[in-house]
Amino acid sequence: MAVDLNWKTIPAREQRLGSITGYDGTLSDMATQGCKGCLRDKRRDFQTASSCAHHHMINQLAGLRDVAVVDHAPTGCIGSQVFFSSGRAKTEPPPGAPPMENVRIMSSGIDESDTIFGAAEKLKNAVRAAYVRHKPREIYIATSCVSAVIGEDAESVAAEMSEELGVPVVPATGGEGLRSKIWASGFDAYCHAASVARLKDEIRAEHKKPAISYVGFAPMGRRHIEPLFKRIGLDLICLTAAASIEDFKRAAESAATWGQCGAQSSYLCSVLEKEFGVRYFQSHLPYGGVGFERFFLDIARFVGREEDGRRVIEEEKAKYLPKIDKIKRRLEGKTALIAMGASFAYEYTRILGELGMKVLHTVAYHYDPKLDNLRPEERVAAATDVFELKLDVPTSVNDAQQQETNLLTKKYKPDIVLSRAHEAGVFAQLQGIPAMDAEIGLIVMGYRGLYRVAVLLEEAFLMNNLVKKFGERYVSPFSALYENTEPFQFYREEAI
Amino acid sequence: MNATCSEQHRTACGVGGLFTALAIERCLPIMHCGPGCFGNVSATLGSMNGGQSGETYLGSVIPSTNFCEDDVVFGGTERLRKLIGECEKYYDADMFFIVDGCTAEIVGDDIGEAASEWAGSEKPVLYASLPGFKGNNVRGHEQVLSAIAEQYLKPARGTDPKQVNIFGVVPFFDPMWAGSLDALEELLTRMGLKPNIIYGRERGVANVDKIPAAGFNLVIAPWTDLSLAERLKEMFGTPYLHFDNLPIGPTETARFIRSVVDYADLDRGVAEDYIKREEDRFYYYMRRSYPWIFSCKNFPRKFIVNAASAAAVSVVRFAVNDLGLIPSRVYITDGTPKEHEDMISEQLRRVDYDEDFDVIFTEDGGLFEESIKNEDFSIRKICVFGSAWDLVPAKKYKLTFVSVAAPYGDRMVGSRTYFGYEGALRFCEDLYANAADNIVDPGI
Ligand code: SF4
Repeated sequence: MAVDLNWKTIPAREQRLGSITGYDGTLSDMATQGCKGCLRDKRRDFQTASSCAHHHMINQLAGLRDVAVVDHAPTGCIGSQVFFSSGRAKTEPPPGAPPMENVRIMSSGIDESDTIFGAAEKLKNAVRAAYVRHKPREIYIATSCVSAVIGEDAESVAAEMSEELGVPVVPATGGEGLRSKIWASGFDAYCHAASVARLKDEIRAEHKKPAISYVGFAPMGRRHIEPLFKRIGLDLICLTAAASIEDFKRAAESAATWGQCGAQSSYLCSVLEKEFGVRYFQSHLPYGGVGFERFFLDIARFVGREEDGRRVIEEEKAKYLPKIDKIKRRLEGKTALIAMGASFAYEYTRILGELGMKVLHTVAYHYDPKLDNLRPEERVAAATDVFELKLDVPTSVNDAQQQETNLLTKKYKPDIVLSRAHEAGVFAQLQGIPAMDAEIGLIVMGYRGLYRVAVLLEEAFLMNNLVKKFGERYVSPFSALYENTEPFQFYREEAI
Repeated sequence: MNATCSEQHRTACGVGGLFTALAIERCLPIMHCGPGCFGNVSATLGSMNGGQSGETYLGSVIPSTNFCEDDVVFGGTERLRKLIGECEKYYDADMFFIVDGCTAEIVGDDIGEAASEWAGSEKPVLYASLPGFKGNNVRGHEQVLSAIAEQYLKPARGTDPKQVNIFGVVPFFDPMWAGSLDALEELLTRMGLKPNIIYGRERGVANVDKIPAAGFNLVIAPWTDLSLAERLKEMFGTPYLHFDNLPIGPTETARFIRSVVDYADLDRGVAEDYIKREEDRFYYYMRRSYPWIFSCKNFPRKFIVNAASAAAVSVVRFAVNDLGLIPSRVYITDGTPKEHEDMISEQLRRVDYDEDFDVIFTEDGGLFEESIKNEDFSIRKICVFGSAWDLVPAKKYKLTFVSVAAPYGDRMVGSRTYFGYEGALRFCEDLYANAADNIVDPGI
């Protein structure tokens, strides 16, 4: 199942891609099973709060320029968007654009009586109010657990409101928290809704423009990467927070596209590929030296500029490798446990190897055996590494179940825990184990990115006085019984 | 067109009430909610609210059934039952608090029944249903306290006339709750009372147990926890004193101290000595900085509040009575129940200022940003007392800004408090620093 802009509701990752949130074994086994299509999910009886698709769908949609999002839910379901709003407001606007402001997310405010009598009128009023106040160029209606369970019809409200207001009002469905255990399903729902709103009626351009489109959270790091693409004749278009309607249209005419990771970007990249013939590069992600060289050469070859591509790589190497090598001496032989989202977990597994470190175990917050592939030869980046580079590591998959990750940390006793969001790193530091929250996206791309990772790691090892003192005072929230259980004992296997 | 906007909310949903349970040391919330409900409440009440998180239990270890599509069809109580069993075994806790959210509630899962299986077990298992469609986190907070009263508290053998339980502050939601409660505890102890607080460090379930033994309850807030105080009066005969705000600055703090001293019949001399000493100290520091404050001609004098009722009443009283600032309008954003609106309006206007000003009750936090779009600041600017949402427009128009309520912002709140005399100086430091940063504007 690839992508389809005619879907009313985009199927969740579990159904579309066979993605899982429970696994223990090795990366090579998981990747091989994944490629053969026989990877089975595991569920757990004992679990902690995770994260939700709806939340991520909305923060991605609301990040776009000139939009308002109306959440058809109790007001509380958008209670945490202030986090993204505040971060977004601090980011530098794209060249020529006004300063970033608060996100425009309204709530229809479903209350108790609405759960019995329905809330279509309320929703319409919220859409009208959003339009009157913010004059957006498009409005998204996000459906939620509650609107789904009580059977609200966002589709027809959207159609009616489009007519009434004269701007596109687009339902954003499929990101309801109860539909998927994988919060990345919310990214897909965002990609689907934004594509329907911004791309569905675009005409496929016969001749592509010399440009490459990047799909990701934020354009941070853009200024370092843009010049590299320029050298092979490509403009960089960022389909990230602050992307305008015009950016999407330009992306549809670009020659190639890639995403920050499989989780956030695969659906939108695949739409660009399937509907507009924009070539999607998904098997090699551009992180670390190895990743960057493969990725950049793929692109350079594709646009017939291999020689220029090689030159860029050599120059980047010359600029950063000596600095990296200096730090590498201090990192060599150190051990790590990684806990991150699906793509970056294995990207960092490879990157730490490049820096001379040994990864003892990698936890991925979910795993996609495939992406929205249109060409069967394209594999997810992690599987590509297994087959191309013989990358392997003991691995497990949990949806930010930090009590499981914590048992693994105790078992493997790494020198450092490398995490990204969701508190795995904090948990380690409070126990006295050095940890670092890793960056993702353009900012860590290429040799400059590798250098940045090395610098941050060096600092993470250099000084841990506070961490040590936390460790001396650590009190476990768990009972001794739990602390002495084996990791994965709560798993039970299920057919997909 | 009947179009009511609702954006930039300054409350979380009912499930946010679990933060009240989390504020009780070693009380573990167990969630029967969607996988994202914790995340959906935790920014406004936690990370984006002064960089707070659970201390005994980090957010990431809070157990949840992560209610899913199957549960809509088959019900999720069986999985909840199982999870409670696991929690009893695997967590180190003194109390468990089951909460549910929208979906479990709609499909009719009975968390009370699930909890009842653990009746009489060594560690108490309480429950409260907190779906977002029934109300916000302030309602959630009240539900949690009410559950403690109804499901847990037992009459005391005897009462201690000096013991006073402190209610009214909504932990986590009030970003400075921890520092404020510490300072309040110290003040009341000096006055000769034995304050009993259930939230925060080294208090925990032992202090919950002591609630029925109090000589009286103190509700120090415009309206929150009044219903709890009423209920405790019915259940245990405990009388209560309602003081309508957590005082900032000399005028309100002195009024507060005198109210408590009169009510509990404490030593007036001790109180008056304390008031005199602290007031002298406050004005010493104010006088030291006043030549500088005075010389900054462009420090705004008018202010707008866009915050929860508790923060609003405290700030308005201090800003007007002690700092001599002029209220322009006040937005109350915490979904104050209709029946309390008149009382809050009256509380806000009970200040040393004769002109009237608007008080607007709305859960539309964006109304303020909308209202200033066409305001002319070219002659004179204003101060904004609000939350992280207001920081963005305040920056845009270079308005003086102090965060006073949830979501406080992504900064560390630590033990910071605006309570009392010392807190008032903190407030002034924040206010005038920000005013000075925004003073020069080519627009003027
Ligand atoms: S409003 Fe309901 S579904 Fe939304 S976060 Fe709160 S409890 Fe969960």
